[in-house]
Amino acid sequence: MLTVENLHAGYGTSEVLVGVSLEVKAGTVVALIGANGAGKTTTMRAISGMIRPNRGRVLLDGRPVQDQDAAHIARLGLAHSPEGRKVFGPLTVEDNLLLGAYGRLPRFFGFRAQAAADLKNIYALFPRLEERRQQTAGTLSGGEQQMLAIGRALMSKPKVMLLDEPSMGLAPIIVQEVFHTIRRLKETGITLLLVEQFAKSALEVADYAYVMDRGRIAIEGTPAHLREDERVLAAYLG
Amino acid sequence: MYTLLIVQLAVSGALMGMVYALIAYGFQLTFATSKSINFGQGELVMLSAFFSLTLIDRGLPYWLVVPGGMLFGAVLGLFVERAAVRLSLEQKGEGWILLTIILGLLGFSAAENIWGRDDRPFPTPISSDPLHFFGIDVTPLELSVAIGVLAVMGLVELFKRKTLLGKAFEAVSADRDAAQLMGISATRTIQLSYGLSGLVAALAGILVAPITTVGPTMASVLILKAFSVAVVAGLDSGFGIVLVGLFLGALESLTSFYLGSGWREAPGLILLILALAVRPNGVFGKASIRKV
Repeated sequence: MLTVENLHAGYGTSEVLVGVSLEVKAGTVVALIGANGAGKTTTMRAISGMIRPNRGRVLLDGRPVQDQDAAHIARLGLAHSPEGRKVFGPLTVEDNLLLGAYGRLPRFFGFRAQAAADLKNIYALFPRLEERRQQTAGTLSGGEQQMLAIGRALMSKPKVMLLDEPSMGLAPIIVQEVFHTIRRLKETGITLLLVEQFAKSALEVADYAYVMDRGRIAIEGTPAHLREDERVLAAYLG
Repeated sequence: MYTLLIVQLAVSGALMGMVYALIAYGFQLTFATSKSINFGQGELVMLSAFFSLTLIDRGLPYWLVVPGGMLFGAVLGLFVERAAVRLSLEQKGEGWILLTIILGLLGFSAAENIWGRDDRPFPTPISSDPLHFFGIDVTPLELSVAIGVLAVMGLVELFKRKTLLGKAFEAVSADRDAAQLMGISATRTIQLSYGLSGLVAALAGILVAPITTVGPTMASVLILKAFSVAVVAGLDSGFGIVLVGLFLGALESLTSFYLGSGWREAPGLILLILALAVRPNGVFGKASIRKV
């Protein structure tokens, strides 16, 4: 569903990614782990078009998108829930969710009616968001904002979802909740690329995993396989 | 009797201040989406007024001249975005400052060449015979300014709050990158904000033209006051600009009465300097706090 081939990307003249290749098959959860600064977030940003890759290809459902801008890639079915959540603080929770479906809703009138069923699904998944639907997103707690960021990404009914550091800055009990949510999403058959600093939790939920090191994929395999790899054990799971 | 005179001066001035508020609102619209403004907005106001005058000369009825002039302003706004702003924003530069000033100068020259340097009256079907409210005289013309300003600002705010496109507008203001990830094109949104900004600026020109007459320099002072209002209220303050506009208009009117008309422009400039020194984010503005 999502294929990345030999991706080179960076900021200005400094290249952060030096040939990243990975694949996310339809209906699977793939984890991308690695140390800080290994290039995980940059990989996500290059896939979703937030930065333009210098070299390499990104195939979304077989279609090359590496030259498209972020808005266009999003409308083609890639939802990126970015690092730091980036909810629209001054807007209400419900407006945030509606904007998640921007690409497939009418621009002026009737969008609320058309999105009603999808909103209901999101609220079923995150009852807290329904309680706070008229509150501005900036007033939510970190955990609630993360739920909102995931909900907002789901609203677009994406072919592939990128989820960057959903546990960042959250209390351990909330982190558990986040992973519980990811597991439930997995049961619905979502196609997900997950970047996570909690490698252990990420491997528990993933079908396949890549370990990044200094801008390239160092190790890959099934979670069971990686758990037995001494390099992974020493560096990330110790 | 004396109090009544003061109130009279304040009310007349405040109604003029609504025009400053409307132009300032145009600044807010583009600043919200792109953190840029058209420094040639005064010329945009003036060109739209001239264009509307030409429509009147051609015999078009007033109720068609107003939307016609506004449409012209919107097209000018779109042109400014395309010609002076877009490239510089893509390069994350400040080139738009100089480019919008240059476009304004070009517009000024064009107006002088097309319509001449003389100030011309702007005929309007709205009466200037004063109505009396509790001893205060207000002309329907002055009232039309206030009503026009509030109506168009109200409509734009409704658009921003009630339509999905309007919410996308706010999303781009809040977080441009995140908005792009929702499939919202920031470029399109900024374009739209410049179109709307031109639209409201043109309406300001049409509303004020019967009072000030139309000439190439009609907006040079107007724009300075609008800028003061925008900065004093805060470029992100929404309806705060209406209050500041009313206040500045009233203050000007009183100043020119008590100190002489030569001092008319002083309050706007003094307010601007004070605001920049004391509250750079504006009286109603939010201090920009970056959460990390």
